[in-house]
Amino acid sequence: MKRGLVTWDKGELPPEELASRLAVVHNVVRTKGLDALVLYSDVWRCNDARYLSNYMPYWNRAFVVVPRDEKPILLCSLSPRVYPWIKTVTVHETIVASPSPPASLFKLGAERGWKRLGICDLDGLPADLHAELTSGNTELVDISRAEVRHAPSKVEVQMHARAARMAREVLEKEISNAKAQTDHELTGQLELQLRRAGAEDVVVLVSDGTGTPVPPCGSAVRPHTSVVVAIEHNGHWAKVTRNVAGMTSSLPARGGVTELREILSGPYSWETIDDAATPAVISLTLQIQARDQTLYYGDTYLQGEEGLRIL
Amino acid sequence: MLKLNPERKKEFLDLMARRGWDLLLFYGDTWRKDHFRCLVSVCFCGPQALAVLTKEGEVRAVVTHPWDVEPVKTATGGSVTYVPRLVEGLKNCVSESANVAINGLEQMEARFVRAVQEATGKTAASATADVEEIRRVKTQEELEWIRKAALLADRGYEQFVRVARAGMTEFELVAEVEGYLKAHGAEDNFMLVASGGTEVTAMKPPTARKLQVGDSVITELTPQINGYYAQICRTLVIGPPSEKQLESYAIFAEAQKAAQDLLRPGVDISDVARVQNDIFRKHGFGDYTGPQYTRVRGHNLGLYPDELPHVLENVHYTCKKDMVIICHPNTYLPLSGYMVFGDTLLVTDTGCVSLSQTERRLFQA
Repeated sequence: MKRGLVTWDKGELPPEELASRLAVVHNVVRTKGLDALVLYSDVWRCNDARYLSNYMPYWNRAFVVVPRDEKPILLCSLSPRVYPWIKTVTVHETIVASPSPPASLFKLGAERGWKRLGICDLDGLPADLHAELTSGNTELVDISRAEVRHAPSKVEVQMHARAARMAREVLEKEISNAKAQTDHELTGQLELQLRRAGAEDVVVLVSDGTGTPVPPCGSAVRPHTSVVVAIEHNGHWAKVTRNVAGMTSSLPARGGVTELREILSGPYSWETIDDAATPAVISLTLQIQARDQTLYYGDTYLQGEEGLRIL
Repeated sequence: MLKLNPERKKEFLDLMARRGWDLLLFYGDTWRKDHFRCLVSVCFCGPQALAVLTKEGEVRAVVTHPWDVEPVKTATGGSVTYVPRLVEGLKNCVSESANVAINGLEQMEARFVRAVQEATGKTAASATADVEEIRRVKTQEELEWIRKAALLADRGYEQFVRVARAGMTEFELVAEVEGYLKAHGAEDNFMLVASGGTEVTAMKPPTARKLQVGDSVITELTPQINGYYAQICRTLVIGPPSEKQLESYAIFAEAQKAAQDLLRPGVDISDVARVQNDIFRKHGFGDYTGPQYTRVRGHNLGLYPDELPHVLENVHYTCKKDMVIICHPNTYLPLSGYMVFGDTLLVTDTGCVSLSQTERRLFQA
């Protein structure tokens, strides 16, 4: 859960970057003959909204609504008591209290005479919101995510790279000191250091060398222990994996090594992908058989047509 | 460790028989894992996971991350299929013309619901409300996990008090508590915080604001053990508390006690909210019990940190033995700004007991 520092550092994410992303959406709105385009957001599916407005909810659902040639409006299920804070960390100047985001969207549309709305990945909406929206009188147009979000920009890649550096530095330091610890104690140290460094979310998985990585269970850290750390820093995820044994593997993976690719710049925090060509920020985790033990090693990469570049 | 809850499974099978459902699907995503974990207690790491309970009692599952196969298979003993896109697995896990109900249907991507309907040729029913009703009354094993979570919440708050000091940022304080809770076995923790004076109207994620002498530092800690959450709400003052902070705290403590004195089987949850609000009204602060200043006067706890019913004057629900409810009269008051105070309460045969052991006082750092 996002309970670390949620902020907008305009040095690393300049307002001009968000303005250029908004311009892409405005262009979609105009060329498709829409009155507005809507993006869904919740606690774990906030990447689309964050991409456009830097809105990163710690709880609840929201719609980011981009009317033609206007700044985005946030229809937010959180209490108005936190809107002053939301305004300090996003581009949103207008936030509408919305216990039901579809009802608020219809009300907004009725006030403005909207007839045709684009919904980013309409069928990806939660079923209750989808049912409510499609039962209205407004024409809905499914807009693919690729039309709204192009290949990761330089700024976006830099932010993922910063998150990856944080994860790498903290994990490598802590795992080297972990031999007398339990996996809970190691996880506590990782949480402490990463959240002190400003991560808003941290997820740790541990493999004891005999199974796949799972949440820590209090076992002792051993030479065949591998640790996966996923962190979110200013809305950008990175995933790094190291093992106590210090085993690495070169790319491309050779015999006895299995690859797991996950996209970190998609709608979810991470999702497995088979496609090895789409431009995206990914994590690549290698499963290495070492005698009768399984070790894991991985990092965060920019995937493109030219291959992989470590971030 | 409880992985596939036999008592719950029997209750779900009884529900299926009553409703005429052939298959009951438990859909969890990363935000609402509870919809899956109420049958299969595995903290999956993929974006979604789905368990299928047949009316014959078989459990099988579809997961969207390869690392989830092994733990889910161990937990269920049934078949587990990995698919990178859930929609591909859904079509094969339901049979044509089956009567299917889905727990967590509302949170499911619309394309997933459609895939189920196309495979069965029938509209899937939502089982969410029925399953939530079953989940509200905890089994003895579930209560043990919640007791452990409540104990950890107490220890987490001790750490909060131990480390809070002037000059520390809110997010550094949260880092210390998060690190402590994880080191002591918390699977997750929902935590909000705020600091300052009468300008503070709500809790939120931590900011880079530095704690100052005279601040009220408010938090709700909600550690999770084996899937189950317990919560504690307390307020701490940096330095000596002012008369107004003490006056404010006394009202919150009185309101929380009123709720705890009333809560028992058969009581309408709206009355648990009303007795808390009545204390504020008695002290001339009735205006601060509405949605402009506060959210809820408490809520149910379990596999989700904000379970229904909410404790509100307009919500009617008859409380039952072995429900676990936090009563927290958290709100804004002009005396001190937003203040919080609450304990996790277990409803017993004749009343309720607090699972929180932390002292009931206005803390000082």
